[in-house]
Amino acid sequence: MTNDIAKKLLIVDDSKVSRMLVRAQIVAVHPEWTILDACSGEESIALVEKGPPDYCIMDINMPGILGTDAAEKILEKYPSIRMVILSANIQETYQSRANALGAAFVAKPVSEKSIALALNHFQCPK
Amino acid sequence: MNLLSEMQRDALAEVFNIGAGRAALSISEIVGDEVKLSVPSIEVKKSVEIGVETLPLNNERFGTVHQNFTGPFEATAMLLFSEEKALEIVRDMMGSQMSLEELVEFEQEAMCELGNIILNACLSAMADILGISLNSTLPCYTIASCTELLHTITSSMDQDYVLVLNIVFTSVKRESEGQLILLLSSASLTNLIRHIDHFLGGI
Repeated sequence: MTNDIAKKLLIVDDSKVSRMLVRAQIVAVHPEWTILDACSGEESIALVEKGPPDYCIMDINMPGILGTDAAEKILEKYPSIRMVILSANIQETYQSRANALGAAFVAKPVSEKSIALALNHFQCPK
Repeated sequence: MNLLSEMQRDALAEVFNIGAGRAALSISEIVGDEVKLSVPSIEVKKSVEIGVETLPLNNERFGTVHQNFTGPFEATAMLLFSEEKALEIVRDMMGSQMSLEELVEFEQEAMCELGNIILNACLSAMADILGISLNSTLPCYTIASCTELLHTITSSMDQDYVLVLNIVFTSVKRESEGQLILLLSSASLTNLIRHIDHFLGGI
């Protein structure tokens, strides 16, 4: 894990536009953070194995495995990662699954407000 | 046809993904079941190039809800279900104890309501994200053969382009596949692309 200042964030979303929007909102608040991105659940798991991030923002609806399944695998091995599920699929089932994993659920679209909710979760003690 | 760049296509797909997510919440509450969504795919074609291969729903007859949207661009939005799936959805909405005769009686109204929810969720998401305002007509439901549907699409003389969005809505109870088609004139497509570029430029 990195020190308090230079946190590492992993953004996982199959939409490049979505990844760009999240990155832009995060950089506006935390320009010092290192930001990595992945376009699928499988790629995110591989990236985490190379060096776990402090925080992760994960979409659900992606080609390959669901983001919630990827989050579960990641959190099993690296439970200290603060995880936010950021998805357009706002059904209760998916929100409950995120909460059961110990992740926070934040509804898309990506906005200053939704990213503020994600950042709040990152700052909460586990 | 490469009328859209990769980024424009990505942005549109994400916009519709958000719309479909909103629609899925409403549908899951209506049919009382979890609804899974596929990753949306987007294709732009000239309306004269539309053929049976554009309609991945492999059916002879469709239940079709359509609505016209007006604003910075004008579009006709069509939502397609296979005819038998449409009746199954109505059964889920109205209660499984209903007879077939009763289901058929409610089909028109129920499918209009479902189409209204899905089409407005998708178009509203687009309007919100692109910072525009769109008005819609009342939904209209028809049962049409594949040939009749293709004729409707290709005979829209003032709508040269067809934006085909494919999202599969899958309920845990039964697979219900829906396809969304937007018919756009060339002027409207240009306006839509201009708004997408403006949105992308703001990132």
